[in-house]
Amino acid sequence: MTNHLTGRKALDKELSTLYNKLMKLGALAEDAINKAIWALKKGDTNLAEEVMQGDDKLDEITQSINEQALEIIARFQPVAMDLRMIASILHMSVDLERIGDLGVSIAKIAKVLSREKLIKPLIDIPRMGEKIREMVDLALKAFVDKNPDEAKKICSMDDEIDDLDKQIFRELVVLMMENPRNIEQAMQLILVSRALERAGDHVTNLCEHTVYMCTGKFIRASSYRRRLERTEESGKRD
Amino acid sequence: MDRKDKIIVENLNLFYGETQALKNIALTVPEKAVTALIGPSGCGKSTFLRCINRMNDFIASCRITGKILIDENDIYSPETDPIELRRKVGMVFQRPNPFPMSIYDNVAYGPRLHGVKDKGKLDEIVEKSLKGSALWDEVKDKLHKPATALSGGQQQRLCIARAIAVEPEVILMDEPTSALDPMATARVEELVRMLSSSYTVVIVTHNMQQAARVSDITVFFLMGEMIEYGPTQQIFTSPKDRRTEDYITGRFG
Repeated sequence: MTNHLTGRKALDKELSTLYNKLMKLGALAEDAINKAIWALKKGDTNLAEEVMQGDDKLDEITQSINEQALEIIARFQPVAMDLRMIASILHMSVDLERIGDLGVSIAKIAKVLSREKLIKPLIDIPRMGEKIREMVDLALKAFVDKNPDEAKKICSMDDEIDDLDKQIFRELVVLMMENPRNIEQAMQLILVSRALERAGDHVTNLCEHTVYMCTGKFIRASSYRRRLERTEESGKRD
Repeated sequence: MDRKDKIIVENLNLFYGETQALKNIALTVPEKAVTALIGPSGCGKSTFLRCINRMNDFIASCRITGKILIDENDIYSPETDPIELRRKVGMVFQRPNPFPMSIYDNVAYGPRLHGVKDKGKLDEIVEKSLKGSALWDEVKDKLHKPATALSGGQQQRLCIARAIAVEPEVILMDEPTSALDPMATARVEELVRMLSSSYTVVIVTHNMQQAARVSDITVFFLMGEMIEYGPTQQIFTSPKDRRTEDYITGRFG
């Protein structure tokens, strides 16, 4: 904490440090997903290991954001936009940290699978990973630009992630039916796909917090997404 | 909030000579709630507060247009008796200003002025008022000691007791804690919350956190204009006007 500054200037300085920590966390979370997918694709154990080790750094920054945010609240009693920004950063740091954790989950699977020959070439999973990276990037940009409209748009991108997840699932189920020996690896790949799908959900949370910070209104990301086609799903069962 | 409007202000303008100190103020003050007026020095919030019990009548150059209705009666109409108005609308000032007399006499002063002579009745009013201002337990054994011997915070609560002794309906407070230490401030704030269950309280404060803590409605004034009016929760989390945002986040003022 700076002691020689008081009032608005001191608060601005604190907020900008907090903000930079969130950006750093965002970059590391993106990196974790990116590297984990790469490790999976290339069977690179070292890279997978690097992602697993790197998680401590994410936890450390999240912790530091938490502490600093509470200290700012205690010392400055922020209100209005300042308060909304701090609340959003607190929530967003949790989402980013989880995205990092999901990267670690994928890295662990990458490590296991590195010893085996893959049952299929990985195309859609890296595509999904790339999409997540792009979404995190855009979500942070919308936050930096204080652009709620952009944040809402990103929520709808999550539909593509869900589509890819379903497609991967179907494909892997077919492979499992063809040959029971595929089951173990197919299950692992389904877990990877599911981890990426959940990362997508965390990105929509990031966007919700950005909208709250900018407008003071809580939105649900689901209202900016395609409507669920429940009838089609249930129709299939017959 | 579904409270009745106790005070309705319509197109209120106030001039000190040629200078316009309040510009077209229009707002409503809900009954039995705390309404806080905030804004930088010289924004007109104290001037506005003083309009509500016609304290500005004492300033010769002061001219007022527009209306202030309390319970639908225009307080500036010729039929309104300002003395009766000030009984109904009590006021507590920045610095505690007890009269140089005993604690008891301070509280009994108003009721005596309004003709209460019966000792038993006066005793009752004094006890009730001191309880109402959360001071009774601290002074019940020294009611006939000089009020000036009390601490600053106690003196301010005594002034609140004196204000409620005449059974007002509205209590105006002009920065009531600016001369008090944090503990005494906390007690007065607690008292303000308590008072709002029986009285309509309008409070001017320089301390934004105080407005956030004690009020139900917050009104932001700037250069004689009312910029924003809204539930306190909304004003302090998502103000609508850029100028309110800048003021409460300390960007000016």
